[in-house]
This record gives sequence, C-alpha cells and structure tokens, in this order.
Amino acid sequence: MLQVFDLEKTYGSPTRSTPVLRGISFSLEAGAFCAVLGPSGSGKSTLMNIVGLLDQPSAGAVRLDGAIVDYAAAEETARVRNGDLGFVFQAFNLLPRLSAWENVALPLLYARTARPDRKPLALAMLEQVGLADRAEHRPAELSGGEQQRVAVARALIRRPKLVLADEPTGSLDSVTAAEVMALLRDLHRRLGVTILMVTHDRDLAGRCDRRIEMLDGRIVHDSAFA
Amino acid sequence: MTAVCPGAASRLALGETVSEALANLYAQRQRSALALLGILIGTASIVAMLTIGHMAQRETLKLFRHLGVDMLQIHAMPAGNYPVGELDRHAIEHLTASDPDVIAAAPLTADHDTILAGERQAELGIAAVTPDLPRLMSLRVADGRFIAPIDDGNLVAVVGDQAARKLSAPGAPLTLGSAVRVKGYVFQVVGVLGPLPFTALDPTDVNNAVMIPLAGAGRVMDSAKPTTALIDLRPTADAKTAGARIVARLANPTAVLQVISARDLIRGLNAQKAIHSQLLTAVGAISLLVGGIGVMNVMLMGVMERRREIGLRAAIGATPRDIQLMFLIEAATLAFVGGVAGLAAGLIAALVTARASGWTFSLAPWVLPLGPGVAALVGVAFGLYPAIKASRLNPIEALRAD
Ligand SMILES: Nc1ncnc2c1ncn2[C@@H]1O[C@H](COP(=O)(O)OP(=O)(O)OP(=O)(O)O)[C@@H](O)[C@H]1O
Ligand SMILES: [Mg+2]
Repeated sequence: MLQVFDLEKTYGSPTRSTPVLRGISFSLEAGAFCAVLGPSGSGKSTLMNIVGLLDQPSAGAVRLDGAIVDYAAAEETARVRNGDLGFVFQAFNLLPRLSAWENVALPLLYARTARPDRKPLALAMLEQVGLADRAEHRPAELSGGEQQRVAVARALIRRPKLVLADEPTGSLDSVTAAEVMALLRDLHRRLGVTILMVTHDRDLAGRCDRRIEMLDGRIVHDSAFA
Repeated sequence: MTAVCPGAASRLALGETVSEALANLYAQRQRSALALLGILIGTASIVAMLTIGHMAQRETLKLFRHLGVDMLQIHAMPAGNYPVGELDRHAIEHLTASDPDVIAAAPLTADHDTILAGERQAELGIAAVTPDLPRLMSLRVADGRFIAPIDDGNLVAVVGDQAARKLSAPGAPLTLGSAVRVKGYVFQVVGVLGPLPFTALDPTDVNNAVMIPLAGAGRVMDSAKPTTALIDLRPTADAKTAGARIVARLANPTAVLQVISARDLIRGLNAQKAIHSQLLTAVGAISLLVGGIGVMNVMLMGVMERRREIGLRAAIGATPRDIQLMFLIEAATLAFVGGVAGLAAGLIAALVTARASGWTFSLAPWVLPLGPGVAALVGVAFGLYPAIKASRLNPIEALRAD
C-alpha cells in the first residue's frame, strides 16, 4: 500500500544544510494502523508531509498504491491528496465560516462532486463520527474533541486509502484524546482504512497495531521487526 | 475512487465560488468598502460620460431637425442710428441663382403682437415670410395651403398649430376662412400648420406664430423689409467661405450682419463635449486605477490572513489553479459589485445632468453591461497578482501560519 525507499530530506542552503531525514525506508500494508513516535525535531512531521505529497524529498522515493509518486506533477499530486489521502492535523484546521457539514464536504468540492450530492454524503460521514446533531454548528460552537471529529470526518469523506494524522490528539486533554483515539480505532476497523499517526503519547501508541520510532531522521525501532 | 470527468478537471462551479466570494467579502466588509468606492467612482464616471455623450448627440441632432446641418442664418442687427437692420429681399431670393453653393434661400422678419380672432385674443408671434419658408424649415401644412406667390401683399395668413388652438374658442374653432385681426387689419386664414416643436435654432417659433406674406408686412410691422435670411447650402459647400461671400453680397449701411452656421455650432458643441468626455475619462481611469489598487490591497491582505485556509485547501486536493481561480473570482466579484453600484450612480448623475440641461433622458443600452464589465475586468487585472501569490504558497508553511 505504502512503500518508502531511502527517503532523505535536507533543509537549508548548500553551504549550511541541515539533514532532517537521513534514509528512511519502511512499508505499510493495507489496513494497518501504525504509530510514529520520536522526540521533538526527529523528523516525524517532515516524513508525514512527504508521504502526504505536501513536500518533496531531497532523495529517495515513495510508492503509493503501486505507483511511484511524481512530486513535480502538481495537478496529479493534488488529485491524489484529494482522493487517496486524508489529513488530520493537530490544529484541526476547520474553516471558521463554514458549518460542520460544509467543512466535511469541502474535499468533495475539489472532487467535482455535484453540489446536491455533497450534503447527504457529509451528513452520513458526520453520523459515522457521532456528530449528526452538530451538522449546522460552526467550529467555534464545538468543543475541541468535536472539532477534531469533524476534521476526521473531513479526512474520510472521500474514502481515502491512507489517513495521515500528525498528533491528532496533541491539542486535546487526555480524556478527549482517548475518545478521539477510540473513534479512529473504530473507523479503522469499520472502514478498513490504513492510518499512519504521529503521537507523543506512549499509551495511545500502545493501542496501535505497529509502532515506528524515529530519532534524528532515522528509524531506530520498528515493532514489525521486533 | 470517484470518477473525475476530464473536462471539468480544473473548473469549479462558478456560481458557488461567487457566493463564497461574496461571503468572504462580507466578512471583511470594512476593507472591501474602500476598494469598492474607487471602483464605484470609476465606473460611475465612465457610465455618466457615455450616457451624457449619447444624450448630447441626440440633443444636437434634435437641434437641427428642422433646419438641417447645412443651414446658414443671417441676422441683420441695427447699425449706427438706424432703428432696424434690414436686408434686401430680392438679393436674398436671387442668391439661389447668383451663388453656386446656395440651394434655397428665404427672407423673413418676425415680431410679436396681440392677435384677435372672434372673441379670442392671444399674444403671439407674427412672421412675415415668403413661399420658400416651408422648404427651409421642413414645415408641414395640416390644412389648406401655405402662402403662395399669388398672395403677393394680400391679407392672408397661415397659422401655426399651437397658435390656432389659442385662437379657437369652444364652438368657434379657428379654421380655413376664419378671420384674424392684427393692428386693425383683418387677415383671412388660408392654412393651418401641423405641430412643430420649437428648437433653439429656429429663427421664430412657428408653432406659436401667425405667418403673413412679406410683401404686405409694412401694414403691421415696423418695416416691410426682411431682417433674417434662411439659407440652405449645398452639402459640399464650405460654410465659412460661403457665409463670407453671402454677407458681402447682402451688406448694407443699415445693418451689422451676424452669421449662424449649423456646421460651426456642431463643431463648437462637439469640442465642448470632447473636453467633458476627456475630463470624465481621466477621472474614470484614475478612479478605476485607485479602485484596482484597492482591490489588490484587499486581496493581498486576504491572502495573508487566509494562509491556513489556503494550506488546508491544498492539503485536501485544491490545485494551484483552483486556488488562483478562487481569489480571481473573489477580486472580480468585489469589483463587479462596485461596478453595479457605479452603474447606478453614473445613471443617476446622467439623469441629473439631463434634468439640468432640459434634455430628455435616454440610455444607450450597451452601457448597462459595459460599466460592470469594465469594473470586473479591472478586478481580474488587479486580482491576478494576489491570486498567483496565493497559489504559490508553500502548503506546509501556510498550514503552520497563525
Ligand atoms: N522549513 C524548514 N526549514 C529548516 N528546517 C526545518 C524546516 N522544517 C523543519 N525543519 C527542521 O527539521 C527538523 C524536524 O522537524 P519536524 O517538524 O519534522 O520534527 P517533528 O519530529 O515533527 O517534531 P515535533 O514532535 O516537535 O513536531 C527540526 O529540527 C526542524 O527545525
Ligand atoms: Mg511535528
């Protein structure tokens, strides 16, 4: 499903370059729920951004669903992000002007889904995350946990193959974090979606099927090969 | 995966992008209002200019409706101690033969007097004319006939449409054969004219006048000699040289001759109009420029404030072109709204101008789409840079923005 080959990423000018990823390789089979752990600055977000086609690697390659990603093809990477990938951010990133269901429906706009079809799809997705009764609320009228559930619904509305969640519970208290984690587990089981999740929380990581630990731009431990 | 139809690959539904644009503009309405003002003034001055120009043209043509654009008028003003400036009737009537540029010429003299008909009396114009007048002033006889050569100096009269009404009493309408009295002389009505609205250039308001033969004018007027010559020039003639030649021929010690040429008047009016429209064009262009810069400013600030949104949209599948289009449509919508308001303001300004000048308001239909269209174009032109800037944002940095 996802294969990463010898990924390197270096920031900065040729004279003063900072290597952030120093040769990352791993693969993820379809339906996996994998946690990425590591201290701050170890390159977790950088890895997620490259796998999410938001950033380009300095060297190495990513194979998504059998095809090597061409990072230079902007239209194509946008299409893949829209259809095959889903993002959940630490900061939710909901658009404040839009209601919950409109936020959930936003990826459908770029999928050119006919307008009348969008609302029912978004409402069904909100139902899946347990927020059917909050469809018309604006983000400001929702709690942090509810906002993140809306964001999860938005990430899943296109039924992507891979969901990338960078510290999805990082802004939530431990109780709410556990609820969002439970939701992710539930959706993972029910929809069979593959999830790659960055977290600092060892407890939450322990509830994933697999854990990859990073340090200084390298993978130092992978529970799949323990 | 959902099938993507290839044709629509980078085209979002215009309608909803516009409605989203309107919501965004409303969200930042204070800033939008300033940009709108520039666009509004710009569009308004262009719309006003075009509409006023259009009306002025119609008014100018209306002015020459009776007399034609090849008309020349010569007015005799008293010179020195002479009580009236006079022209020589035969010299005028001979112009057709003696001057190669003259097609027709008619002498006349006009005055006011109290006219009586039966029980009625009215203060009306009285014009002493010759049979050539209808041809020169496009007069139409509604009933009877105009003054003819056989009338010579006889006591006959032709009455203008409005004058006839004023001289009619209920049950005693003024018709052919009725008598009208001027200074004790009784004239028999031989013709009534059709209605003819007065234009500023007409030597006399024939609608409100009683016309009598010039040969007999001495009975009721100060002089039996004409004071005005109406001349129709050949279209190819040069009005200036022909005017000078005719003045030389008609010159006499009693009068200072004044020449009015339709061509000169039109030239003067056009020059005046050109100054107005240049001024308005300059005001419009500068305002549109200011408005365009305002639009660019609003959009640039919007792009800065909405970096996170741009990053998010990129993450969920918006292409750079989608982002660019979104901001372009927002800029065009902003300017279009200003353009519509400017259209209304411009039309109101034109209406006020028409009222003040006594013109009939008339709208050139092509102005309606043109005003807001130009405004939207300005919006697109000035929105291009912010839109490109937005589409080039790095999504990761944009998502990290606060
Ligand atoms: N645009 C950039 N330019 C230069 N250096 C960068 C850039 N982005 C990230 N870095 C550096 O790369 C390193 C890894 O960053 P990254 O965000 O991937 O870490 P992380 O593992 O996600 O950390 P955290 O747990 O704090 O989120 C950091 O040292 C960071 O300073
Ligand atoms: Mg990070």
